[in-house]
Amino acid sequence: MPVSSKQARTWKHRSWVAFLVVPPVVFMSLFVVYPILSAFAYAFYEWRGLARGDFVGLANFKEVLFGATMAPTVWNAFLHNVYALIALMIVQNGGGFFLAWLLYKEPFGFRFHRIAVFVPVVLSTIIVGFLWKLFLNPNFGIVNQALYSLGLDSWAKPWLGDSSTALGALILANAWHFVGFPTLVYLAGMQRIPSEIIEAARLDGTTEWQLLKNIVWPLVAPSTTILFTLLFIGAFNWFEIPYVMVGLDGSPFGSTDVLGLVFYRTAFGNQSASIQNFGLGSALATLIFLFIVVFASMLTLWLRRREIQF
Amino acid sequence: MTALATSSSSRQPISFAFLAQVILIANSFIMLYPVVVMVLSAFKTTGEIFEHPFALPDFTQIGNFAKVLGETSMPAYFVNSIIVTGASILLIVVLGTMAGYAVARYESRTNTFILLFFLAGLMLPLKLAVIPLFILLRDLNLLDSRWSLIVTYTAIGLPSAVFIMAGFLRSLPAELEDAARIDGASEPRIMWSVMLPLARPPMAIAAIQNAVPIWNDFFFPLVFIQTDAYKTLPQGLTTFMGEYTTDWGMLFAGLTIAAAPITLLYIALSRQFIQGMTAGAVK
Amino acid sequence: MKMTRRILMGAAAGSFLLSAGAMAQQTELTFWSWRQEDKAFYQDAIKKFQAKEPNIAIKFETYAPENYQTILSTALAAGRGPDVIQVRAYGNLETIATPGYLLALDKQTVPELANFPDAALAAETLRSDGKVYAVPFAMQAQLVVYNKKIFQNAGVNPPKTWDELMALCQALKAKNITPFANGTATAWQNETIVGGLLSSMLGKQFEEDIVSGKANFTDPRFVNALAKLKDVSQYFSPNFSGVDYPSSQQLFVAGRAAMFAGGSYEVANFKNQNPTLDLGVFPAPVLKAGDQALIATYYDGGYAVNAKSEKKDAALKFVRYLATPEYGTAFTTALKNLSPIKGIKIEDPITQEVAKLAENAMSYLMLVRFRYQEPSGSVLLQSNVQKMLAGQQTPEQAAAEINKGIATYYKPFQK
Repeated sequence: MPVSSKQARTWKHRSWVAFLVVPPVVFMSLFVVYPILSAFAYAFYEWRGLARGDFVGLANFKEVLFGATMAPTVWNAFLHNVYALIALMIVQNGGGFFLAWLLYKEPFGFRFHRIAVFVPVVLSTIIVGFLWKLFLNPNFGIVNQALYSLGLDSWAKPWLGDSSTALGALILANAWHFVGFPTLVYLAGMQRIPSEIIEAARLDGTTEWQLLKNIVWPLVAPSTTILFTLLFIGAFNWFEIPYVMVGLDGSPFGSTDVLGLVFYRTAFGNQSASIQNFGLGSALATLIFLFIVVFASMLTLWLRRREIQF
Repeated sequence: MTALATSSSSRQPISFAFLAQVILIANSFIMLYPVVVMVLSAFKTTGEIFEHPFALPDFTQIGNFAKVLGETSMPAYFVNSIIVTGASILLIVVLGTMAGYAVARYESRTNTFILLFFLAGLMLPLKLAVIPLFILLRDLNLLDSRWSLIVTYTAIGLPSAVFIMAGFLRSLPAELEDAARIDGASEPRIMWSVMLPLARPPMAIAAIQNAVPIWNDFFFPLVFIQTDAYKTLPQGLTTFMGEYTTDWGMLFAGLTIAAAPITLLYIALSRQFIQGMTAGAVK
Repeated sequence: MKMTRRILMGAAAGSFLLSAGAMAQQTELTFWSWRQEDKAFYQDAIKKFQAKEPNIAIKFETYAPENYQTILSTALAAGRGPDVIQVRAYGNLETIATPGYLLALDKQTVPELANFPDAALAAETLRSDGKVYAVPFAMQAQLVVYNKKIFQNAGVNPPKTWDELMALCQALKAKNITPFANGTATAWQNETIVGGLLSSMLGKQFEEDIVSGKANFTDPRFVNALAKLKDVSQYFSPNFSGVDYPSSQQLFVAGRAAMFAGGSYEVANFKNQNPTLDLGVFPAPVLKAGDQALIATYYDGGYAVNAKSEKKDAALKFVRYLATPEYGTAFTTALKNLSPIKGIKIEDPITQEVAKLAENAMSYLMLVRFRYQEPSGSVLLQSNVQKMLAGQQTPEQAAAEINKGIATYYKPFQK
C-alpha cells in the first residue's frame, strides 16, 4: 500500500481529486454561500428599488426590531410562528408518534394505513393549500356543508375569515399535509429498537403506557431530535400555506401574519403598499436566519445530550 | 418480527387492538377523503358541487378535464416541471456523486473540510437569501428562465446528495479499489467501473429525496419566473386558480390533474418514495 | 393539399421578403403592460397607429399584474426594460420615477397633454419635481353595482339616502335575497367597500380638510361613516368575514345577491361571466336628502417612456398617439373603462352612467393621497375596517388606529 499512497500525492492524482471536488464546491459557493453572505451585507444599506444606496449601518435592523411602523408587524408575525411551532409540535409530531406506535404493532391493514398517511406528504403544498381553502369556504365548502348536514349548524364558521379560527385552520391544514412524515420517521425509529427489549418489558408486565413512556419514547429520541429541528426550521420559514390560503396580508387583519409573509411583502411589495424595500427585507431575513441557526444548534445540542443519558 | 408483533398483540386486551384499528381507519379516512372529494368534484359542474357536495358524480362528464388540458397552459406547466425537476436531479446526482466520492475515498484534511462545508449547507434555508439570489441571477441573465430554477434547486439539493453518497461510498470495502489498482486501473476507471455500479441505490435515494420537494416547490418560481411559458406546475396552478376563481369544477379538475402524476407514481413506488423522502431523518 | 402548402409557403416567403425589406428602415419598440386581458385591444390600437407611422413596429408584452411592478423595477434597474411602459399612478409611479427611470414629459414633447384634466396629470406627476411622467389611460370609480332584475322583481329602486338603503336591504332580506354580495376576507376589498358606500357621507369637504390638515381621521365624519358601514354589514353575504373576493363576485354573477359595492371595472367582468345580467350603478347613499351624492375616483395609470430607451423619438410618437381622443374613444368602447381624455365619445350605457356620476366625485382617498409611505393608508384602512366589521374593534378605535399609522409620516397630522 505505501506505493499507492505515494501515488496519491502525485500531480495527476491531485488534479483528479480537484476535478471531482471543484465543480460542486464552486457551485455551492456561487449559489449558496455568496447569496447568504450578500444577504447579510445588503441589510446594512439603504435601497431604492433594486439599486443599492448608502451604507446605513444598523438602521434597517433597528427599524425591523424596534421601529414604530415595522416592529409591531414583525413581532405579531413572530408570535404566530411560535404558535404554529408549538401547535405543530403537538399535533403533527406528537400525532405522528402515536400513529407510528399503532402502525408498529402491524395490525390488520397496516400496509394500507402506512401508504395512506403519506399520501398528502407527496402533494404540493400549493395543492394542499388550495384544496383546504375551497373546503373551508364558509358558504360552499364541504367542512361547513358537512356540519350543516349533521345538524351542527352552530359549529359552522367562516373558518379563514374569523380571527379566532384562521391561524388554527392553517395549522391543521399543515398538519394534514405533513403528519405522515413524522409518523414514518418514528416508525422507522421504533423498528430499530431491538425486539428483545420490548419483549422483555412485556414479560415484566409493564402497561402499554409505561412501555411507551419509559422505553419507546427514550429510544426514539434521535428521531425526535431531527424531527423537531426540521419542524423548527419549517415553522420559521412558513410561507406557502398562509400565502395560498389567506393571502399576502395575513388576513383577517394580521391574525395569520407570519414572518415569511412579512418578508415577502417587505422585499417584493404588495398591491396596497407598493413599496419595495430590499434593505429592510434583507435585515429581516438576516435576523430570521440567525435566529434559526442559533436556536437550532442550541436545541440540537440540548436534545442530543438528552439522548446520551439513556 | 411479524410473528412477534402478532403474538404480542394477541396478548393485548381486544378493546385495545380494536381502538387502535378505529383510530387508524379514522386517520386514513381523514388523509384520503379530501383527495377523493377533490377527484369526485372534478367531474361535477360548479352548481352540482354547491348543491350536492358529497354525491357521486357522473363519471362520463369529463368536460372539466378536457377544458383544463385543451384550453389552459396546464400541459405547458407540466412540461416545464418535468424539465426543471429532471435537469436539477441530474445535476444534483452528478455533482453530489463527484464530491461524495472524493470525500469518501480520498481522505485528507481538505476533504474533511469540504464535507463540513456541505454539512453547513444542509440546514441553511436558502429561501431567506432570495434577494441576493435574485440579483445574482439577474446579473447572470438567468432571471425568468428555467435555468434560474435549475441552479437554485441544485444548490439546495447538493448538500444532502453529497452526504448520502459519501456515507454510502465510505462503507464500501477498500479491497475493491486496491484490487483494481493492482490491476493497473486508473482512478477515473476505478470510480466509473468498480465503485459507481454499486452506488445506484443511494443515487436513487438522493434523487427521490430531492425530486419531490423540487417538483412541488412554489416559492422560487414565484420570485424568479414571470413569463407564462416558463412557469412550473405549482406556480402555474396559482395562475390557473386566479383565472377560473369562480368555476369550482374547473378548479378541482386543475388540482386533480396537478396532483395526479406524483400521486400515482407514489402509489406505484411507495416503498422507494417513503425510503427516499425520510432518508434525511432516518439514520 | 400539396398545392395549398406550396401556396402558403410562397406567401410566407413573400411576406418575409416584404417585411425584411420594410425592416430596413423600421424602428421596433417594445411595450410592456400588465393588462393581459386587453391584449386584443392593444394589438388593434398598434395596428391603427402603424397605419399612420408605418416605420414603427411595436412588440406588445404582458405580465401578471401581481408581479408586474417587481419585474419592471428589476428590468429598469438593470438598465434594460421596454421603450414604452404602462405604469401605475401615485405612490407606485413614484417608486420608478424617483430613481430617474422614466422620461419626463411636457407640452413640447407631448402637446396632447392638453387633452387631459389636471387631476389626471397630477396622478402621473412626481411630487418632488412637479413633472409629468406618463400619459394617463383610465379613470376608475368605486360605487355600487346592482342587479336591475332583482330590484324590479322585489319592487325596489336604487336608494338615494342611507335610510333608504337600509330599508331596501331589509326588504330584500325579507324576500330571502342577499342584499350585498360583498365579503371582507380579501383585505383590499375593505377599501373598495368604503369607497363605494361611504364617499357621500365623507364628502369633498372632508377630503379638503384632511389635505389641509384641518381634520384628521378621528374626525366625526369619518367615525360616523364607519359606524354606518358596520351597520349595513349585516346585509353583506352570509359569513361575510370568510367570503373572499372571488366568492363574492361569484354570488353576484350567479344572481344570488342584489348589489356589489366595488369598482366600475367590475361591470365588464360581471358581464363577461354572465352576459344575461342587466346591471345598473348608483353612487354612495347620502346621509340626508339634499346632500351631494359622490363616487370615489382615481386614475389607474399611464403610458411612459423609458429614460434609457435608444428610440425615444419613436416611443414619444406612440405615446402621443395614446393621448389622442381617437385612441381614448376606442379604449372606452372596447374596454368599458373611462378614458380620462377630454372630448371622447362613450357608447356603452353603463359607462355613460359612470361618466355622468364621475362629475360628482371625491378621491379614492387612501390610494390617491396615502400610498406614498409605510404604513400606507390603504393597508391601515383595509386591516382596521376588516377588524371593525368582524366586531373586534369599534369605529372609534378603527379610526384612531388609521390616524395613528398615517400620523407617523404625515406632517399635517403631527401637530
